[in-house]
Amino acid sequence: MDQTKSRFLSLDFLLGAGLLGLICTAVLASGWLFPNVGAIDLTARLVPPFARADHILGTDPLGRDVLARVVAGGWISLQVGVLSVAGSVMLGVIVGLVAGYYRGIWDVIVMRFADVQLALPFILLAITFIAIIGGSLTNTIILLIVSQWVQYARLVRAQVLALRDREFILAARAIGVKDRRILFSHLLPNLLGPVVVLMTLNVANNILLESSLTFLGLGVDPTIPSWGGMLADGRTYLQSAWWVSVFPGLAILLTVLGLNLLGDWLRDTLDPTGRTGR
Amino acid sequence: MNKKTLSTTAMALLLSAGLALPAAAQGTLTVSSPQDPGSWDPIDTFLVNWASVATNIYDGLTYRGPDMELVPALATGWEELDEGTRIRFTLREGVTFHNGEPFNAEAVKFTFDRLLGDEGAAGPQQSNYTSIDSVEIIDDYTVDFHLGAPDPVLLTKLAGYGAMIVPPQYASEVSEEEFNLNPVGTGPFSFVSYEPRIGINLEAFEDHWGGAPQLANLNYRFITEPSTAVAELQSGGVDLVIPPTIPIGMISTIEQDPRLSVVSTPGPTVYSLRFNTRDGITADERVRRALIMAVDRDTIVEAILGGEASVIASLQGELSFGFDPALEPLPYDPEAARALLAEAGVAPGSQVQIDIRGNDATFNEVVQAISAYLAQVGITASIQPYETNVLLNDIIPQGRTGAMFQQSWGGWTFDYDNTAYSMYHSGEKWNPYDSDPELDALLESQRPMTDRDAREEVLHEIARYTAERALEMPIYNLNAIYAVSDRVQNFVPAPDSRLRLTDVTVE
Repeated sequence: MDQTKSRFLSLDFLLGAGLLGLICTAVLASGWLFPNVGAIDLTARLVPPFARADHILGTDPLGRDVLARVVAGGWISLQVGVLSVAGSVMLGVIVGLVAGYYRGIWDVIVMRFADVQLALPFILLAITFIAIIGGSLTNTIILLIVSQWVQYARLVRAQVLALRDREFILAARAIGVKDRRILFSHLLPNLLGPVVVLMTLNVANNILLESSLTFLGLGVDPTIPSWGGMLADGRTYLQSAWWVSVFPGLAILLTVLGLNLLGDWLRDTLDPTGRTGR
Repeated sequence: MNKKTLSTTAMALLLSAGLALPAAAQGTLTVSSPQDPGSWDPIDTFLVNWASVATNIYDGLTYRGPDMELVPALATGWEELDEGTRIRFTLREGVTFHNGEPFNAEAVKFTFDRLLGDEGAAGPQQSNYTSIDSVEIIDDYTVDFHLGAPDPVLLTKLAGYGAMIVPPQYASEVSEEEFNLNPVGTGPFSFVSYEPRIGINLEAFEDHWGGAPQLANLNYRFITEPSTAVAELQSGGVDLVIPPTIPIGMISTIEQDPRLSVVSTPGPTVYSLRFNTRDGITADERVRRALIMAVDRDTIVEAILGGEASVIASLQGELSFGFDPALEPLPYDPEAARALLAEAGVAPGSQVQIDIRGNDATFNEVVQAISAYLAQVGITASIQPYETNVLLNDIIPQGRTGAMFQQSWGGWTFDYDNTAYSMYHSGEKWNPYDSDPELDALLESQRPMTDRDAREEVLHEIARYTAERALEMPIYNLNAIYAVSDRVQNFVPAPDSRLRLTDVTVE
């Protein structure tokens, strides 16, 4: 009771959850807050922030409201970040668990395949992939899953190898616990810590990768706002109109900060081997 | 205040240093160019940034400067004989290459034999000069070009790229690799050193037939990233940034600096959205006209391109041979557009897909504005960005585009034939959808014409015909944009980026 309470009172949790909560609420409410998010107004290009009441954070080169686009852009960015990581974690964790626990020929095949894939440069993979199946939001997410599940698979497998001969697993096996139960109830909770840390890093990384894909023209329709796309659009205006790229940049920064704080807290909380002293 | 004193001192120092040099050529100009062509051999390249350096190293038989007039260069005159199938050139006497070799009929024959032979076949330039059958030496300073068919653009093509005259002895003695990296020509500047991906340095060739250039040294640095190039310009690391570097969005940054200015001139590149004339709603000519009329191209050029472009009525700019000032772009008229769409039976909310190059930031903005204009007449446009090579080599040639697709096009010859034939003739790579025998006949009819006026009339007719059928939404002709430090004097911007910096001086 006491322990649970103190855990939720940690600064990491409060700040992280607060930031993410605020951002998610704003993003979810964006349709209601800014119904005219895509409205182009060529007579009001590059209005600086705080100069006009109807464009608090200024406008972009096409006269669109930066605040509205930042809020709406979060929807794409969070979707890409969260869904792609969720997908790669699911795929990677299952493959890693099975490969590490059963070893044998599947382990060899899957892990060598993973090595081969890790050797491919991401951009090359992306260009080939998008050239074949075409660019869209769904395909971007699939591409990120395809390119990143390997990291989780390798991480989980390494953890399983370290744990599979430990006493508590042997004991479980000795009393006849089914494999599935050992994998998901005994192994999984014990290796979740590093996976969670990698996840929080990857959500941030994927938001940025989506931007580089959009920048290369491999991403989504440019009229749909996304933080990465806005950063790329604003790059040439950095000296003359900083607000076009600085505000989406800040949004990415705050989201990533929130995720990392929450990730730290989650790792500490989930770590079954004892509480790190804080 | 302090800064001013410093620069005055620096200027005094520079002046005194300048006085110590020979009076003919002085000062160093540093140019930022966005691309390293990798080889300086004329037969190896089609890159405009090859020409922005090499135009100073080499001469052609003819020369075309920023005023777009074709004038004598290594040939002092020419005569078209046998109904345009033979051209006789009288060559300039007393010209030497940078290495001391004399220029004569032998050098001309060698250059074109090399271009049209096996060595030229390995490069991209040969195909531009296939109208030449052979070059015959009449005497030391007279040559005859024998043509398979009359080529109205040949004299222009002799002013650049593959037709640059190379020294026969040097080019046959040294290896190909050696020639690529150590070019020798007859131009106003001679080669000093080249570091791949870093830069190339030239110096004044005092014995140039047109007189020594004003500058003593001409250095180029290869800077790809626009913000780096502009930062170098601001800090004095370079004096001139040449196209295609400066994005429209950076112009205001440059103009805010009192020591820098932006100089521009209409360039060769035109931007359009071409239609899928075979399938979907854009197969209907009325729909195509409606989509063009729905877009306020004047406002787009004014607002997004900062006036650094002009609205076009056909796929050519005002400097192009074949440009017809009488041909007006379709007006912006959303009412008429809606009426035309209704007449064609297109329901409000119909979808069109616009395929674009993903890495072209400015055109990206333009297309987003176009999509907003189309929404005003009830057309929902989605924009599909592609990686440039995928769009150019796969999507367009195979006819797998959406209803509209980006086509940006420009040739240094500024001849409408170059564009029109590739875009409209049946079976061409860039024409996946349309086949029009009448248009094919028009395109073929002008190619052998030697009478410039008659040919121009046919080109006008082609432009009118394609505009009438609304084969594309012509949008704008982009300016060639240069950023110049105020240290540089007498700089004249070249529309085709083929700079010859003989008259430029620096303070």
